[in-house]
Amino acid sequence: MRILLAEDDVTLASQVKTLLTAEGRVVDVAHDGEEAGFLGSTEPYDMVILDLGLPTRDGISILKEWRSEGLDFPVLILTARDGWTDRVDGLDAGADDYMTKPFHMPELAARVRAMLRRKSGRTNPLFEKGSVAFDTRNAKVTLGGIPVDLTSQEVAVLSYLIHNAGRLISRTELSEHIYEYDGDRDSNTIAVFITRLRKKLGPDFIQTIRGRGYKVDAA
Amino acid sequence: MLSLRRRAMIGGALSAMASILVGAFVLLTLIEDNVLDRFDRGLIDRHSQLVVALNTTATNPVALSERLYDPAYATPFSGRYWQISNLDGETYTSGSMFDTTLKAPSSHSTDLTLRSMTGPEGEPVRSAFQQITLEDGSTWDVSVAESLAALAAERQQTRRSLLLAFVLVGLLGLAGAILQTTTILHPLDKLRRDVSKRWEQDEDLTTSDYPQEVAPLVDDINELLARNRDIIARARRQAADLAHALKTPTAILRNELTVLNAQNNNMEASLDALDRVDAQLGRSLARMRAANSGAAVSVRTDLSNSVDRFTRLFSSMAERDGKEMSTSCAPDLFIRMDQQDIEEVIGNLLDNALKWCNDAISLTAITREDGVELLIEDDGPGIPEGREREALKSGGRLDSSKPGTGLGLAIAIDLLQAYGADLNLEKSAALGGLAVRIFIPSKRRQSLAKAA
Repeated sequence: MRILLAEDDVTLASQVKTLLTAEGRVVDVAHDGEEAGFLGSTEPYDMVILDLGLPTRDGISILKEWRSEGLDFPVLILTARDGWTDRVDGLDAGADDYMTKPFHMPELAARVRAMLRRKSGRTNPLFEKGSVAFDTRNAKVTLGGIPVDLTSQEVAVLSYLIHNAGRLISRTELSEHIYEYDGDRDSNTIAVFITRLRKKLGPDFIQTIRGRGYKVDAA
Repeated sequence: MLSLRRRAMIGGALSAMASILVGAFVLLTLIEDNVLDRFDRGLIDRHSQLVVALNTTATNPVALSERLYDPAYATPFSGRYWQISNLDGETYTSGSMFDTTLKAPSSHSTDLTLRSMTGPEGEPVRSAFQQITLEDGSTWDVSVAESLAALAAERQQTRRSLLLAFVLVGLLGLAGAILQTTTILHPLDKLRRDVSKRWEQDEDLTTSDYPQEVAPLVDDINELLARNRDIIARARRQAADLAHALKTPTAILRNELTVLNAQNNNMEASLDALDRVDAQLGRSLARMRAANSGAAVSVRTDLSNSVDRFTRLFSSMAERDGKEMSTSCAPDLFIRMDQQDIEEVIGNLLDNALKWCNDAISLTAITREDGVELLIEDDGPGIPEGREREALKSGGRLDSSKPGTGLGLAIAIDLLQAYGADLNLEKSAALGGLAVRIFIPSKRRQSLAKAA
């Protein structure tokens, strides 16, 4: 799952990125309002974490523009503005959740997970299909109850397929959601990740629809 | 301080009174002089008649009474007299003199002399005297006199008529002064009404609506109001900037400490200290926000819109927690309170209600005769009887089993007090938990207006 983090403080952005990457997310960081607006409008993010007090452009106006363009990715506002008017303005502008600084990292991680889960229409944080179980709360995977070690890229691929379970995902779409903005998007490496995942989780968990893409059946 | 209207009235009345007194004095003097002059001319005419008559009857002065036909000369003490006397001491008088004579002047002037003296009955009279020498060579002291009683009566009548006229002129002058004052003060009255309306409708005053003498004052008022708005906006912006400047570093610190703690470094004491810093920061920033309330600025907020906004937010928050929120609000409810301030109040109180309720919270807004009432209720444990005062204290927490600073209610009270609004804690009749009842007056209260 690919997340846009719009935060002007480099240190805080780095901490949040580390947290989310550890859970198998791919994170692009925008340090000002212009960059955030551009990335949100042009890249297919699964969700956005948006600071309101960004340099060059205010978060609320960026959010309104995204919504007016029909972009419906979930947006979590993460801001120092803790007044109720700001909070309601943010939610009225189209945000899905609002967190104020200072915050606890585990709470931010939980909110991100909940939002991604809601986006995929699932209520249960634990995805189970056959002998494979994927816990969206900590990105842990088990096969027949035994933990399976996955690389962060493998987790990213698996997580996107599971969050979109039941839907055919093209190789292009998959690459758009597992690589960072300036990452090397070689779609051939997708096939390598799928092969490795099949080795670790069994050959039938991820189906290949020849020439069209991949699919994980809904739980 | 004496009002402008009263000053103008008193000034107008004093000036009218002074004008009337001076006018009356001058006019009366002129009229009296004129009346006396006319009286004297009549006296001189009669003196001339007497001289003419004497000239024709000098040899028989007794016949004078027949030549002078005026009946007043025949009626005793009628007030109109004549008298002649020659150098031999023979004196002839009108019948009206009866058996008296007029006192001769000290100098026997050949010029006609007018003087005031006493008459035959001791009454004041005015006389015309002249010593003349007739063609036959005889010399006579010729006097006519007339009582001043008629003149005094005429003067009295004139005074009365004039007084009445001046009273009427005075009343007209006073009415004119009132009309003038009202006309002059009209722009100031309009300014007062417009400023009051501005509190209601948040409109700027239009300078061109006022006379050029008042226009600079209107500009000053507009500038003052704009400056007030700027000061509050700047103070709020500074508070927001400060919040941003402090909260981001504390968030970073917290994250670093949490990571170190997770790596088996005992960071509990540091995390506790950071918790205290965060709490103090939250409190101080909230206080700063309350101190910078928009109470000093004239604003009108659509309460119905704010209630709608918070209903959307809290309904979804309640739903997420498996709870329910109900709202009842009359349409088009407006209050004299800054939107951020009333929303801070509603947000804090609904947040408390949602935190403590079992299943349900409600928000009701209704119009009262002299203001708007807001009622925020829940079905939670409420506040034990007698401990309301403690709960209203800043940071007062009766139960610390749920997270919070205990500051929300205190902030709400601070903000409401800035607008002269009331907040009371009660037991909810509808839901059984706590009911927070807020009353926001429609007019700025006297003490508040003075303070502002």
